[in-house]
Amino acid sequence: MGNIKPHTDQKYIEALLKNDSLLLKEIYEKFAPKVINYIKSNTGDDQSAQDIIQETLITIYKQAKEKGLQLTCPFDAYFFLLCKRKWLNELKKSAKKEVTINEEIVSVNDESVRFVEETEIFNAKHELFTEMFDQLGKACKELLKTTFMIKSMEEVASKLGKSYGYIRKKKSLCIGQLTKLVQNSPKYNQIQNLL
Amino acid sequence: MTPEEKYELFEKHCSQELSINEKARLTKLLQDDDVLKEELKMYQEAHSHLDRRFNSEKEQATLKKNLESIGSQFFSKQENNEKTKKEVNQEIKEKSKVIKMPSWVYAVAASVAIIIGAYFFNQNDPVYHDYADIPKLSIVERGGQEESIKNAEKAFNSKNYVVAEKYLSALLSNDKNNSEYQFYYAVSLLEQNKHIEATQAFKMLHQGKSVYKHKALWFEALNQLKQKRYDQCSKLLKKLPKEAEDYNNAQKLLKKLN
Repeated sequence: MGNIKPHTDQKYIEALLKNDSLLLKEIYEKFAPKVINYIKSNTGDDQSAQDIIQETLITIYKQAKEKGLQLTCPFDAYFFLLCKRKWLNELKKSAKKEVTINEEIVSVNDESVRFVEETEIFNAKHELFTEMFDQLGKACKELLKTTFMIKSMEEVASKLGKSYGYIRKKKSLCIGQLTKLVQNSPKYNQIQNLL
Repeated sequence: MTPEEKYELFEKHCSQELSINEKARLTKLLQDDDVLKEELKMYQEAHSHLDRRFNSEKEQATLKKNLESIGSQFFSKQENNEKTKKEVNQEIKEKSKVIKMPSWVYAVAASVAIIIGAYFFNQNDPVYHDYADIPKLSIVERGGQEESIKNAEKAFNSKNYVVAEKYLSALLSNDKNNSEYQFYYAVSLLEQNKHIEATQAFKMLHQGKSVYKHKALWFEALNQLKQKRYDQCSKLLKKLPKEAEDYNNAQKLLKKLN
Protein backbone atom coordinates (compact mmCIF):
# COMPACT_ATOMS: atom_id res chain seq x y z
CA MET A 1 0.00 0.00 0.00
CA GLY A 2 3.07 2.17 0.39
CA ASN A 3 2.66 4.47 -2.56
CA ILE A 4 -1.11 4.69 -2.77
CA LYS A 5 -2.27 8.23 -2.15
CA PRO A 6 -4.26 8.57 1.06
CA HIS A 7 -7.88 9.70 0.87
CA THR A 8 -8.59 13.37 1.64
CA ASP A 9 -10.39 12.15 4.75
CA GLN A 10 -6.97 11.22 6.10
CA LYS A 11 -7.21 14.68 7.68
CA TYR A 12 -9.53 13.23 10.31
CA ILE A 13 -6.91 10.65 11.24
CA GLU A 14 -4.34 13.42 11.50
CA ALA A 15 -6.78 15.41 13.65
CA LEU A 16 -6.89 12.56 16.14
CA LEU A 17 -3.10 12.40 16.22
CA LYS A 18 -2.80 16.15 16.68
CA ASN A 19 -5.81 16.52 18.97
CA ASP A 20 -7.12 19.22 16.63
CA SER A 21 -10.33 20.37 18.30
CA LEU A 22 -11.87 22.09 15.31
CA LEU A 23 -11.61 19.03 13.10
CA LEU A 24 -12.64 16.72 15.92
CA LYS A 25 -15.77 18.79 16.32
CA GLU A 26 -16.35 18.40 12.60
CA ILE A 27 -16.13 14.63 12.98
CA TYR A 28 -18.99 14.74 15.46
CA GLU A 29 -21.06 17.07 13.35
CA LYS A 30 -20.56 15.22 10.12
CA PHE A 31 -20.42 11.59 11.12
CA ALA A 32 -22.05 11.15 14.51
CA PRO A 33 -25.72 11.64 13.55
CA LYS A 34 -25.75 8.48 11.43
CA VAL A 35 -24.22 6.46 14.24
CA ILE A 36 -26.61 7.86 16.84
CA ASN A 37 -29.52 7.08 14.60
CA TYR A 38 -28.37 3.51 14.19
CA ILE A 39 -27.69 2.91 17.87
CA LYS A 40 -30.95 4.49 18.94
CA SER A 41 -32.96 2.35 16.58
CA ASN A 42 -31.23 -0.68 18.04
CA THR A 43 -32.11 -0.41 21.74
CA GLY A 44 -29.40 2.14 22.56
CA ASP A 45 -29.66 5.70 23.83
CA ASP A 46 -27.68 8.94 23.53
CA GLN A 47 -25.32 7.89 26.28
CA SER A 48 -24.38 4.59 24.67
CA ALA A 49 -23.95 6.37 21.35
CA GLN A 50 -21.61 8.90 22.91
CA ASP A 51 -19.55 6.11 24.49
CA ILE A 52 -19.33 4.03 21.34
CA ILE A 53 -18.29 7.03 19.25
CA GLN A 54 -15.60 8.01 21.71
CA GLU A 55 -14.21 4.50 22.09
CA THR A 56 -14.10 4.06 18.33
CA LEU A 57 -12.20 7.31 17.87
CA ILE A 58 -9.68 6.26 20.50
CA THR A 59 -9.19 2.91 18.78
CA ILE A 60 -8.54 4.66 15.48
CA TYR A 61 -6.09 6.96 17.22
CA LYS A 62 -4.19 4.02 18.69
CA GLN A 63 -3.92 2.29 15.36
CA ALA A 64 -2.80 5.47 13.65
CA LYS A 65 -0.21 6.04 16.33
CA GLU A 66 1.16 2.54 16.37
CA LYS A 67 0.79 1.44 12.78
CA GLY A 68 0.51 4.68 10.86
CA LEU A 69 -3.00 4.16 9.52
CA GLN A 70 -3.37 5.52 5.97
CA LEU A 71 -6.98 5.72 4.84
CA THR A 72 -7.59 5.14 1.16
CA CYS A 73 -11.36 5.05 1.61
CA PRO A 74 -13.83 7.63 2.91
CA PHE A 75 -13.92 8.10 6.66
CA ASP A 76 -17.71 7.96 6.69
CA ALA A 77 -18.21 4.29 5.86
CA TYR A 78 -15.17 3.18 7.82
CA PHE A 79 -16.22 5.00 10.97
CA PHE A 80 -19.87 4.04 10.75
CA LEU A 81 -19.09 0.35 10.27
CA LEU A 82 -16.65 0.34 13.18
CA CYS A 83 -19.19 1.96 15.49
CA LYS A 84 -21.94 -0.32 14.32
CA ARG A 85 -19.95 -3.49 14.87
CA LYS A 86 -18.76 -2.28 18.24
CA TRP A 87 -22.36 -1.66 19.25
CA LEU A 88 -23.47 -5.09 18.07
CA ASN A 89 -20.68 -6.61 20.14
CA GLU A 90 -21.87 -4.68 23.18
CA LEU A 91 -25.37 -5.99 22.66
CA LYS A 92 -24.09 -9.54 22.42
CA LYS A 93 -22.04 -9.08 25.57
CA SER A 94 -24.93 -7.76 27.58
CA ALA A 95 -26.93 -10.79 26.42
CA LYS A 96 -29.75 -8.77 25.04
CA LYS A 97 -29.95 -11.48 22.46
CA GLU A 98 -33.61 -11.09 21.75
CA VAL A 99 -33.04 -7.72 20.14
CA THR A 100 -33.99 -7.44 16.56
CA ILE A 101 -31.39 -5.59 14.63
CA ASN A 102 -32.79 -2.95 12.37
CA GLU A 103 -30.50 -3.16 9.44
CA GLU A 104 -29.90 0.00 7.62
CA ILE A 105 -28.72 -0.28 4.12
CA VAL A 106 -25.39 1.41 3.84
CA SER A 107 -23.37 1.36 0.73
CA VAL A 108 -20.19 -0.30 1.79
CA ASN A 109 -17.37 -1.06 -0.55
CA ASP A 110 -14.81 -3.77 -0.09
CA GLU A 111 -12.13 -1.30 0.74
CA SER A 112 -13.85 0.15 3.77
CA VAL A 113 -14.60 -3.37 5.00
CA ARG A 114 -10.92 -4.19 4.67
CA PHE A 115 -9.99 -1.14 6.75
CA VAL A 116 -12.62 -1.96 9.34
CA GLU A 117 -11.30 -5.48 9.69
CA GLU A 118 -7.74 -4.28 9.99
CA THR A 119 -8.73 -1.92 12.75
CA GLU A 120 -10.70 -4.60 14.57
CA ILE A 121 -7.79 -7.04 14.44
CA PHE A 122 -5.46 -4.32 15.61
CA ASN A 123 -7.76 -3.53 18.49
CA ALA A 124 -8.20 -7.15 19.51
CA LYS A 125 -4.42 -7.64 19.54
CA HIS A 126 -3.91 -4.47 21.44
CA GLU A 127 -6.34 -5.58 24.12
CA LEU A 128 -4.72 -8.99 24.29
CA PHE A 129 -1.25 -7.49 24.74
CA THR A 130 -2.56 -5.26 27.50
CA GLU A 131 -4.25 -8.17 29.22
CA MET A 132 -1.18 -10.41 29.05
CA PHE A 133 1.13 -7.63 30.16
CA ASP A 134 -0.81 -7.56 33.42
CA GLN A 135 -0.01 -11.22 33.92
CA LEU A 136 3.73 -10.63 33.86
CA GLY A 137 5.58 -10.57 37.16
CA LYS A 138 6.04 -7.30 38.96
CA ALA A 139 9.75 -7.10 38.19
CA CYS A 140 9.18 -7.52 34.46
CA LYS A 141 6.38 -4.97 34.38
CA GLU A 142 8.51 -2.40 36.07
CA LEU A 143 11.59 -3.07 34.02
CA LEU A 144 9.64 -2.80 30.77
CA LYS A 145 7.96 0.37 31.87
CA THR A 146 11.28 1.96 32.79
CA THR A 147 13.16 0.85 29.69
CA PHE A 148 10.45 2.08 27.35
CA MET A 149 9.83 5.35 29.10
CA ILE A 150 13.46 6.29 29.48
CA LYS A 151 14.75 6.01 25.97
CA SER A 152 18.40 5.72 26.80
CA MET A 153 19.32 2.26 27.99
CA GLU A 154 22.53 3.61 29.45
CA GLU A 155 20.48 5.86 31.67
CA VAL A 156 18.30 2.96 32.79
CA ALA A 157 21.37 0.88 33.52
CA SER A 158 22.99 3.53 35.66
CA LYS A 159 19.71 4.25 37.40
CA LEU A 160 19.30 0.61 38.36
CA GLY A 161 22.96 0.12 39.07
CA LYS A 162 23.38 -2.69 36.54
CA SER A 163 25.32 -3.06 33.32
CA TYR A 164 23.83 -2.16 29.96
CA GLY A 165 24.11 -5.73 28.69
CA TYR A 166 22.38 -7.11 31.75
CA ILE A 167 19.40 -4.73 31.39
CA ARG A 168 19.04 -5.50 27.69
CA LYS A 169 19.08 -9.22 28.38
CA LYS A 170 16.43 -8.88 31.11
CA LYS A 171 14.31 -6.69 28.91
CA SER A 172 14.47 -9.17 26.04
CA LEU A 173 13.48 -12.04 28.35
CA CYS A 174 10.48 -10.10 29.63
CA ILE A 175 9.30 -9.27 26.13
CA GLY A 176 9.89 -12.90 25.17
CA GLN A 177 7.73 -13.98 28.05
CA LEU A 178 5.02 -11.58 26.98
CA THR A 179 5.02 -12.98 23.45
CA LYS A 180 4.69 -16.52 24.81
CA LEU A 181 1.73 -15.52 26.99
CA VAL A 182 0.04 -13.92 24.00
CA GLN A 183 0.71 -16.85 21.67
CA ASN A 184 -0.56 -19.38 24.18
CA SER A 185 -3.76 -17.54 24.83
CA PRO A 186 -6.90 -18.99 23.21
CA LYS A 187 -7.87 -15.48 22.17
CA TYR A 188 -4.76 -15.31 20.03
CA ASN A 189 -5.96 -18.18 17.87
CA GLN A 190 -9.31 -16.50 17.49
CA ILE A 191 -7.57 -13.39 16.21
CA GLN A 192 -5.38 -15.39 13.88
CA ASN A 193 -8.48 -16.98 12.45
CA LEU A 194 -9.84 -13.56 11.62
CA LEU A 195 -6.85 -12.83 9.41
CA MET B 1 20.25 -21.60 20.40
CA THR B 2 18.80 -21.03 23.86
CA PRO B 3 15.67 -18.88 24.31
CA GLU B 4 17.89 -16.34 26.09
CA GLU B 5 20.14 -16.00 23.06
CA LYS B 6 17.17 -15.87 20.75
CA TYR B 7 15.40 -13.07 22.59
CA GLU B 8 18.59 -11.09 22.97
CA LEU B 9 19.12 -11.32 19.23
CA PHE B 10 15.53 -10.19 18.67
CA GLU B 11 15.97 -7.28 21.04
CA LYS B 12 19.14 -6.15 19.32
CA HIS B 13 17.32 -6.45 16.00
CA CYS B 14 14.49 -4.20 17.26
CA SER B 15 16.80 -1.60 18.67
CA GLN B 16 19.16 -1.84 15.69
CA GLU B 17 22.12 -2.92 17.73
CA LEU B 18 23.09 -6.04 15.80
CA SER B 19 26.72 -6.35 14.80
CA ILE B 20 27.46 -7.40 11.22
CA ASN B 21 28.13 -10.95 12.36
CA GLU B 22 24.94 -11.16 14.40
CA LYS B 23 22.93 -9.79 11.51
CA ALA B 24 24.28 -12.45 9.21
CA ARG B 25 23.55 -15.09 11.81
CA LEU B 26 19.95 -13.98 12.29
CA THR B 27 19.31 -13.78 8.55
CA LYS B 28 20.65 -17.30 8.14
CA LEU B 29 18.60 -18.64 11.02
CA LEU B 30 15.43 -17.07 9.66
CA GLN B 31 15.95 -18.39 6.17
CA ASP B 32 14.20 -21.70 6.48
CA ASP B 33 12.56 -21.37 9.84
CA ASP B 34 8.95 -20.21 9.65
CA VAL B 35 8.39 -20.68 13.36
CA LEU B 36 11.30 -18.41 14.17
CA LYS B 37 10.08 -15.88 11.63
CA GLU B 38 6.69 -15.87 13.32
CA GLU B 39 8.34 -15.48 16.72
CA LEU B 40 10.37 -12.53 15.56
CA LYS B 41 7.30 -10.89 14.11
CA MET B 42 5.52 -11.34 17.39
CA TYR B 43 8.48 -9.95 19.30
CA GLN B 44 8.50 -6.88 17.10
CA GLU B 45 4.81 -6.40 17.64
CA ALA B 46 5.18 -6.64 21.40
CA HIS B 47 8.09 -4.22 21.21
CA SER B 48 6.20 -1.58 19.27
CA HIS B 49 3.11 -2.11 21.39
CA LEU B 50 5.01 -1.43 24.59
CA ASP B 51 6.84 1.49 23.07
CA ARG B 52 3.61 3.21 22.05
CA ARG B 53 1.84 2.30 25.20
CA PHE B 54 4.36 3.84 27.54
CA ASN B 55 5.13 6.80 25.38
CA SER B 56 1.69 7.96 24.34
CA GLU B 57 -0.25 7.36 27.53
CA LYS B 58 -0.39 11.03 28.36
CA GLU B 59 -1.22 12.07 24.84
CA GLN B 60 -4.03 9.55 24.72
CA ALA B 61 -5.46 10.78 28.01
CA THR B 62 -5.47 14.36 26.72
CA LEU B 63 -7.24 13.30 23.54
CA LYS B 64 -9.80 11.35 25.52
CA LYS B 65 -10.59 14.31 27.72
CA ASN B 66 -11.00 16.55 24.71
CA LEU B 67 -13.28 14.04 22.98
CA GLU B 68 -15.36 13.82 26.12
CA SER B 69 -15.92 17.55 26.19
CA ILE B 70 -16.57 17.83 22.45
CA GLY B 71 -18.90 14.84 22.61
CA SER B 72 -20.86 16.18 25.56
CA GLN B 73 -21.25 19.52 23.90
CA PHE B 74 -22.39 17.91 20.70
CA PHE B 75 -24.91 15.71 22.45
CA SER B 76 -26.36 18.45 24.62
CA LYS B 77 -26.73 20.64 21.57
CA GLN B 78 -28.59 17.85 19.83
CA GLU B 79 -30.88 17.43 22.79
CA ASN B 80 -31.64 21.13 22.79
CA ASN B 81 -32.40 21.05 19.08
CA GLU B 82 -34.81 18.22 19.61
CA LYS B 83 -36.47 20.03 22.44
CA THR B 84 -36.84 23.19 20.39
CA LYS B 85 -38.30 21.18 17.57
CA LYS B 86 -40.83 19.65 19.92
CA GLU B 87 -41.69 23.02 21.39
CA VAL B 88 -42.16 24.51 17.97
CA ASN B 89 -44.40 21.64 16.95
CA GLN B 90 -46.41 22.11 20.08
CA GLU B 91 -46.74 25.80 19.37
CA ILE B 92 -47.86 25.16 15.84
CA LYS B 93 -50.46 22.75 17.11
CA GLU B 94 -51.74 25.23 19.60
CA LYS B 95 -51.83 27.99 17.07
CA SER B 96 -53.72 25.93 14.57
CA LYS B 97 -56.65 25.67 16.92
CA VAL B 98 -58.74 28.45 15.45
CA ILE B 99 -60.71 30.41 17.95
CA LYS B 100 -63.30 32.90 16.94
CA MET B 101 -62.64 36.20 18.61
CA PRO B 102 -64.96 39.13 18.96
CA SER B 103 -64.02 41.96 16.67
CA TRP B 104 -62.97 44.35 19.42
CA VAL B 105 -60.15 41.97 20.24
CA TYR B 106 -58.67 42.70 16.84
CA ALA B 107 -58.79 46.37 17.53
CA VAL B 108 -56.98 45.94 20.81
CA ALA B 109 -54.49 43.58 19.23
CA ALA B 110 -53.82 46.05 16.45
CA SER B 111 -53.19 48.90 18.83
CA VAL B 112 -50.93 46.75 20.95
CA ALA B 113 -49.05 45.87 17.79
CA ILE B 114 -48.66 49.53 16.96
CA ILE B 115 -47.39 50.32 20.41
CA ILE B 116 -44.91 47.46 20.28
CA GLY B 117 -43.89 48.47 16.79
CA ALA B 118 -43.32 52.02 17.85
CA TYR B 119 -41.29 50.84 20.78
CA PHE B 120 -38.96 48.80 18.65
CA PHE B 121 -38.88 51.39 15.94
CA ASN B 122 -37.43 53.89 18.32
CA GLN B 123 -34.69 51.53 19.26
CA ASN B 124 -32.26 52.14 16.48
CA ASP B 125 -29.23 50.50 17.90
CA PRO B 126 -29.03 46.76 18.34
CA VAL B 127 -28.48 45.69 21.92
CA TYR B 128 -26.47 42.99 23.54
CA HIS B 129 -29.42 41.08 24.92
CA ASP B 130 -30.97 40.55 21.50
CA TYR B 131 -27.93 38.62 20.40
CA ALA B 132 -26.36 37.03 23.43
CA ASP B 133 -27.61 33.50 23.49
CA ILE B 134 -25.77 32.09 26.47
CA PRO B 135 -25.21 28.37 26.19
CA LYS B 136 -25.87 26.13 29.16
CA LEU B 137 -22.85 24.89 31.01
CA SER B 138 -22.75 21.13 31.38
CA ILE B 139 -19.48 19.91 32.79
CA VAL B 140 -20.69 17.52 35.45
CA GLU B 141 -19.39 14.12 34.41
CA ARG B 142 -20.96 10.82 35.17
CA GLY B 143 -19.24 9.05 37.99
CA GLY B 144 -16.68 11.39 39.51
CA GLN B 145 -18.86 14.25 40.69
CA GLU B 146 -16.64 16.92 42.02
CA GLU B 147 -18.44 19.36 44.26
CA SER B 148 -16.94 22.52 42.77
CA ILE B 149 -17.85 21.41 39.24
CA LYS B 150 -21.44 20.87 40.28
CA ASN B 151 -21.55 24.22 42.02
CA ALA B 152 -20.08 26.03 39.03
CA GLU B 153 -22.64 24.48 36.73
CA LYS B 154 -25.54 25.24 39.04
CA ALA B 155 -24.53 28.86 39.57
CA PHE B 156 -23.88 29.51 35.88
CA ASN B 157 -27.09 27.96 34.66
CA SER B 158 -29.14 29.87 37.21
CA LYS B 159 -27.46 33.07 35.98
CA ASN B 160 -25.71 33.68 39.25
CA TYR B 161 -22.57 34.85 37.51
CA VAL B 162 -20.83 36.28 40.56
CA VAL B 163 -20.77 32.84 42.17
CA ALA B 164 -20.08 31.10 38.87
CA GLU B 165 -17.02 33.28 38.35
CA LYS B 166 -15.70 32.27 41.74
CA TYR B 167 -16.11 28.53 41.17
CA LEU B 168 -14.82 28.61 37.62
CA SER B 169 -11.79 30.59 38.67
CA ALA B 170 -11.08 27.96 41.34
CA LEU B 171 -11.46 25.16 38.78
CA LEU B 172 -9.12 26.99 36.43
CA SER B 173 -6.45 27.27 39.06
CA ASN B 174 -6.18 23.49 38.99
CA ASP B 175 -6.71 23.05 35.28
CA LYS B 176 -5.70 26.27 33.66
CA ASN B 177 -5.75 24.98 30.08
CA ASN B 178 -9.32 23.73 30.22
CA SER B 179 -10.95 25.72 27.42
CA GLU B 180 -14.46 24.95 28.59
CA TYR B 181 -13.82 26.51 31.99
CA GLN B 182 -12.08 29.42 30.30
CA PHE B 183 -15.02 30.12 28.05
CA TYR B 184 -17.68 30.02 30.74
CA TYR B 185 -15.46 32.01 33.03
CA ALA B 186 -15.21 34.70 30.37
CA VAL B 187 -18.98 34.72 29.84
CA SER B 188 -19.48 35.09 33.59
CA LEU B 189 -17.23 38.15 33.51
CA LEU B 190 -19.07 39.59 30.53
CA GLU B 191 -22.43 39.15 32.21
CA GLN B 192 -21.14 41.13 35.17
CA ASN B 193 -19.92 43.89 32.85
CA LYS B 194 -16.31 43.21 33.75
CA HIS B 195 -15.51 44.14 30.19
CA ILE B 196 -11.75 44.40 30.29
CA GLU B 197 -11.21 41.12 32.03
CA ALA B 198 -13.69 39.44 29.70
CA THR B 199 -11.81 40.79 26.69
CA GLN B 200 -8.58 39.29 27.98
CA ALA B 201 -10.16 35.90 28.50
CA PHE B 202 -11.92 35.82 25.12
CA LYS B 203 -8.77 36.93 23.35
CA MET B 204 -6.77 34.12 24.86
CA LEU B 205 -9.38 31.57 23.81
CA HIS B 206 -9.58 33.01 20.34
CA GLN B 207 -5.84 32.72 19.89
CA GLY B 208 -5.91 29.08 21.00
CA LYS B 209 -7.01 26.06 19.04
CA SER B 210 -9.92 24.86 21.14
CA VAL B 211 -13.52 24.38 20.05
CA TYR B 212 -14.26 27.77 21.58
CA LYS B 213 -12.01 29.60 19.12
CA HIS B 214 -14.86 31.11 17.09
CA LYS B 215 -17.34 31.32 19.94
CA ALA B 216 -14.86 33.46 21.84
CA LEU B 217 -14.60 35.89 18.93
CA TRP B 218 -18.39 36.14 18.66
CA PHE B 219 -18.75 36.81 22.37
CA GLU B 220 -15.96 39.35 22.35
CA ALA B 221 -17.89 41.17 19.62
CA LEU B 222 -20.94 41.08 21.90
CA ASN B 223 -18.76 42.38 24.70
CA GLN B 224 -17.97 45.41 22.52
CA LEU B 225 -21.64 45.76 21.60
CA LYS B 226 -22.60 45.82 25.24
CA GLN B 227 -20.22 48.75 25.70
CA LYS B 228 -21.80 50.41 22.64
CA ARG B 229 -18.46 50.37 20.86
CA TYR B 230 -20.07 49.62 17.53
CA ASP B 231 -17.01 50.09 15.32
CA GLN B 232 -14.98 47.72 17.40
CA CYS B 233 -17.87 45.25 17.34
CA SER B 234 -18.20 45.34 13.52
CA LYS B 235 -14.50 44.85 13.11
CA LEU B 236 -14.59 41.67 15.16
CA LEU B 237 -17.73 40.37 13.49
CA LYS B 238 -16.09 40.63 10.10
CA LYS B 239 -13.34 38.33 11.28
CA LEU B 240 -15.74 35.49 12.04
CA PRO B 241 -15.27 32.77 9.41
CA LYS B 242 -18.14 31.14 7.52
CA GLU B 243 -17.80 27.83 9.34
CA ALA B 244 -18.41 29.46 12.72
CA GLU B 245 -21.63 28.48 14.42
CA ASP B 246 -22.61 32.11 14.95
CA TYR B 247 -21.78 33.27 11.44
CA ASN B 248 -25.40 33.95 10.48
CA ASN B 249 -26.12 35.86 13.64
CA ALA B 250 -22.98 37.86 13.07
CA GLN B 251 -24.13 38.80 9.58
CA LYS B 252 -27.51 39.92 10.91
CA LEU B 253 -25.89 42.03 13.56
CA LEU B 254 -23.48 43.53 11.03
CA LYS B 255 -26.39 44.60 8.84
CA LYS B 256 -27.99 46.37 11.79
CA LEU B 257 -24.79 48.10 12.71
CA ASN B 258 -24.22 49.49 9.24
